Amino acid sequence: MAHIPDGFLSAPVMAGTAAASVAGLAVAVHRSRRHLAEREAPVLGAATAFVFAAQMLNFPLGAGTSAHLLGGVLVGTMLGPWAAMLVLFAVVLVQALLFQDGGIGALGANTLNMAILGVGGGMLVYRWILWLAGVGFRRRVAAAALAGAGSTVIVGVAVAVELALSDTVPLAPALVAVGGGHALMGIGEGVITGAVLAMVLRARPELVASVPSPSAWARALAYAGTTGAVTLAIGAAYLASSKPDALEAAAARLGIHEIETAYLAAPFADYTAPLGGALMAAVIGVVAVFTVAWVIGRAVARRRLGA
Amino acid sequence: MSFHHLDQYATVSSPVTRATPTARVLAATAIAVGTAALPLGAWEHLGILAGLVVLVAAAAHVPASLILRRLAGPFVFVLAASTGLLFLVPGTPLIHVGPFGISDAGLQRFGFVLGRASVALTAAVILVSTTSFPELVQALRQLRLPGAVTTALGLGYRLLYLLVDELERLQRAARSRNAGGGTTRRRRLLVGITAAGLARAFSRGERTHRAMLARGFVGDLPSLAPKSWDLGTALTLAVLIVVVIAITLSAHVRS
Repeated sequence: MAHIPDGFLSAPVMAGTAAASVAGLAVAVHRSRRHLAEREAPVLGAATAFVFAAQMLNFPLGAGTSAHLLGGVLVGTMLGPWAAMLVLFAVVLVQALLFQDGGIGALGANTLNMAILGVGGGMLVYRWILWLAGVGFRRRVAAAALAGAGSTVIVGVAVAVELALSDTVPLAPALVAVGGGHALMGIGEGVITGAVLAMVLRARPELVASVPSPSAWARALAYAGTTGAVTLAIGAAYLASSKPDALEAAAARLGIHEIETAYLAAPFADYTAPLGGALMAAVIGVVAVFTVAWVIGRAVARRRLGA
Repeated sequence: MSFHHLDQYATVSSPVTRATPTARVLAATAIAVGTAALPLGAWEHLGILAGLVVLVAAAAHVPASLILRRLAGPFVFVLAASTGLLFLVPGTPLIHVGPFGISDAGLQRFGFVLGRASVALTAAVILVSTTSFPELVQALRQLRLPGAVTTALGLGYRLLYLLVDELERLQRAARSRNAGGGTTRRRRLLVGITAAGLARAFSRGERTHRAMLARGFVGDLPSLAPKSWDLGTALTLAVLIVVVIAITLSAHVRS
């Protein structure tokens, strides 16, 4: 449920998200004009049409499922984050007005989620990874794939938080249902974004916005940021392991206790690792997630390169 | 591909289509926002707003069958989204479906959210049924939306038909050469088509823009028959907005 329909948000949330969107778009308009100059009109028009057309193509993901591109990060890698925000806003606006996909009253929230937070957050992930790893072909493709996935998760979390703030659904089940759904969608989005970017980089590299090689400062900042984030994640995982997590809290509220059985299959049931207990489990968890993401990113990049 | 079937009631003469598109956008926004902002459980107020929407639809001469047909698609989506509320809202369980329970609070919220969404959706459907896309862009420009966005919308609308046809041509060409059998190959083919579509969109955009500049484009798409504000439209809009605000506020005061 990326597009929130009318009726799901409360008045204060609608007003707050609308104000935040207006502020975000004002910055985007200003920065995009400086970046694109007289190329702005044709480039934004073309990108808007492209995102619409691309959303009509369904990619088979196997097991009878399919996904379509959301396109925020892909357009961001072509035009830079600010112009991509305007493109996604144009798309969200037309979807609300012409196709009733997302409500008119919820337009502020949908713009904030998909155009501002989705594109902005996704592009931050993209730049961050490039700052960490440098700007080679494979690294850019892997960064875009991870950013595409990350951007979709950010949108899902934002939707869940807004629904919870509106008192429509409690936060924990909203995060599980909406955030979890978007995490699954994010896999498809990441793979498609990486694959399409790889092809464009090979066929028409001039279309992709150049990313300058990171300066020593940028690298240092990125490494410091990553260390901070990993420390925070370990801390959070450590805290979470001593409290019931979102899924368990949701299950308890719904009066389900059978869900416990699902953990029997997990290697560290309820996060207790053989060595050193909860803290060790947290470290292993964070490292495992990081490794899996890294391996997937590299594999996507290599396959596209070899294809 | 074309959207012309969407605009068939935009040319019908009615009090709604005679009003400037800006007024129509403002009216639809007022009704949608007013409805969406109703507090949970304000059924009477929702009923009054629903009545107001029916009145507007009658004034616009949009047949109910068309509204229902265009509501169907988004309604299915809204229904699916609100079904989640049935299970996610805590309260006294009434019915058990497998491991999940439907609570009384969940059922009430499901009904009200669905009602709010339907009324707001209908207002939006009436707006697009009575307003063509160029008129909509003109209204958004009058409402001081950034020029970059309105130009992107106008050009994007122009390019979309071309681009979708282009993508269909690419897919047809691939199919006629037996390309894309099996999930993996089909996925790779679609990636290629998407990348080609992206490249073509940008070159088409540049070309269209150069052609438009050559024809005197200065960043503003002129309209052949611009509708302007008149006293009647302004007064009707003002009354409508005041009524919607009064209904929504009274619902908040009572709850």
